[in-house]
Amino acid sequence: MRCASALVLLATVLAAPGMSRAEQRPLHGFVQAGAAYRLIPPDRCPATQRLACEEEFVLGEGRVGLELSPRGERWALSAKGELIYDGVGDEWEGELREGYLDLGFPALDLRVGRQVITWGVGDLIFINDVFPKDLVAFISGLPLEYLKKGSDAVSATGYWAGTALQLVLIPVFEADTVPEAGGRLSFHDPLADIERRRTDEPSPALENTEAGLRLSRNVLGWDLSLYAYRGFFHAPAAEVEPGPGLRFFFPRLSVYGASAQGAVLGGVLGLEAGYYDSRQDRSGLDPAVENSSVRVLLGYQREVVPDLVLSAQYFVQVMEDHAEYVRTRVAGMPERLLARHVLTLRLTWLLLHQTLRLGLFALASPNEGDFHVNPEIKYSVTDALWVAVGTNLFGGPDRTEFGQFQGNSNLYVVARYAF
Amino acid sequence: MALTRWARREIVVGGVLALLAAAGAALAQPSAEQIMSRAHLATYYPGDDMRARVTMRLISRDGKERLREFVMTRRDLQEGGEQRYFIYFHRPPDVRDMTFLVWKYPGRDDDRWLYVPALKLVRRIAANDKRSSFAGSDFSYEDVSGREPDEDHHKLLKEERVGERPAYLVESIPKDAGSVDFGRKLSWIDTVTWLPLKEEYYDRRGELARVFTAEELKEVQGHWTITKRVMKNVQTGHRTEVAFGDVRYDQKLPPDLLSERALRAPPAELVR
Repeated sequence: MRCASALVLLATVLAAPGMSRAEQRPLHGFVQAGAAYRLIPPDRCPATQRLACEEEFVLGEGRVGLELSPRGERWALSAKGELIYDGVGDEWEGELREGYLDLGFPALDLRVGRQVITWGVGDLIFINDVFPKDLVAFISGLPLEYLKKGSDAVSATGYWAGTALQLVLIPVFEADTVPEAGGRLSFHDPLADIERRRTDEPSPALENTEAGLRLSRNVLGWDLSLYAYRGFFHAPAAEVEPGPGLRFFFPRLSVYGASAQGAVLGGVLGLEAGYYDSRQDRSGLDPAVENSSVRVLLGYQREVVPDLVLSAQYFVQVMEDHAEYVRTRVAGMPERLLARHVLTLRLTWLLLHQTLRLGLFALASPNEGDFHVNPEIKYSVTDALWVAVGTNLFGGPDRTEFGQFQGNSNLYVVARYAF
Repeated sequence: MALTRWARREIVVGGVLALLAAAGAALAQPSAEQIMSRAHLATYYPGDDMRARVTMRLISRDGKERLREFVMTRRDLQEGGEQRYFIYFHRPPDVRDMTFLVWKYPGRDDDRWLYVPALKLVRRIAANDKRSSFAGSDFSYEDVSGREPDEDHHKLLKEERVGERPAYLVESIPKDAGSVDFGRKLSWIDTVTWLPLKEEYYDRRGELARVFTAEELKEVQGHWTITKRVMKNVQTGHRTEVAFGDVRYDQKLPPDLLSERALRAPPAELVR
């Protein structure tokens, strides 16, 4: 199906050469190659993760991307498709990453189709950004844009007197892409012995349509937003079925939150908070479903010297009904604490007329002990060609969020030629 | 030796004439502050709004070239006061469709936002350091959106021609040395258009660091505009050549057009 949509896109592109204009070409694209070498082999590989121990490369692929973006006075079309050759698995795949129509009215912007939606002010910390993500791409060293997945959605944003109200409706559920059994990424699998597994996704039905609301306004230089979301967790929960088998499903979730961002002492201060209402487990007694939680983020970013930006974040997630969680926890499952604290640091240094970027992103939880460190060097060889080299290092206790990915730690190289 | 009465009268008359001449010269020749303030308005505030398709060529000492192309739109809220800038990038490919919004306030830090289209993310940008390079060029943020004239002490040195054009040569010394990367600046301000024809930036050691030259002036809708300019870093040999094409003034853009809405979904008039 994805292959088919890529072919349709290709056909559209080839059929539309007459639209090309030197000034604003509606057709763009790129060729990209990426490889990520596993630095730390997984220490044990259950049957469901055999590939993780066999494959030296976490990533080894080539991509061709095409983007068609014709636009008129009050409308714009955007279609981004990619054809991917996965050299590690020897597979071809086509994917329509985005494909939407924009319509602009005097006080209303409408976007219909597959689109990436990003909310909140966090840097790789997501509270109100509940929209689907591709964790596999992120872990494997692909560029950051692959972390965000498109949603098949309708988005309407109304504007009046400096206030914006966005309504998002997503009738077709799209789950996060997470490491799973049979893949080449290793992860903590408490029920590794169970090989019979199935996934139940919310079916496209009116009552399963995800809905999001965002109200935002700039007040005295501060960007303020309020958010509300009603839908599902995008990362799967798992329960054991008779057989035995493992059933993955997506529990119902509502999120209510707010964010603020503004200039403070020559830098940018960001604040975000959200309440996760785990509607399928309000009592906290269901061990398969994540409990409700409160999440708070505080971030500060500042340019230290010209072209060198430093930013830091503190994030905390406090679980509701922690006592119930502890009481009903199944042996082998992660032992999560009442609160998870996370600190992040990012350094971005632009050199050689901003053609060379030295970057460092580090995330660590001081109380759960897991971390992710990503130094990267990115150089634009020409305006059209860039090369990035970096490492993703994961570590910490095996059952923690990032500690479980230690065996996927990698050294990656990605090069992209764009036209 | 005593002067005769007649001779004394000569001196008095001469003195009065000299004073009158000086006063006349003062009337014809504005003060250094007046020159720099008029130059600031002529450079950064002509019209109520302005847009241009800007091409920047970044050229290294060995001739290697990079190209930046964008549409820049400016809207003034008050003459000499608050302004909004909107930039839509066309090239290079890795920043294509990126948009950049600046709300500029005199006397305090700008508010800046950058929209990353691949992530559909509006990112607030720290704006405390105006010396940062604009898009990797030899121009700093301050060069693009203007430095407040009252941040420097100005001194009119003399009148001097730049090519065929008569100009005021003004020396500017920053009041707060730590806020800028130059210790001294020389500006040649055109006596007719009030635009800078040439600027020399000296570093804090007194060495010449950067040289700005206006290569082409054109009158567009009654506003004199620098349509070609060069900034050269004489210490590294790197230079940036900028051409303004398709310049339009006074399109009566509503100030609200340059807002977060435009960052996410830029209307056609801010793109082409």
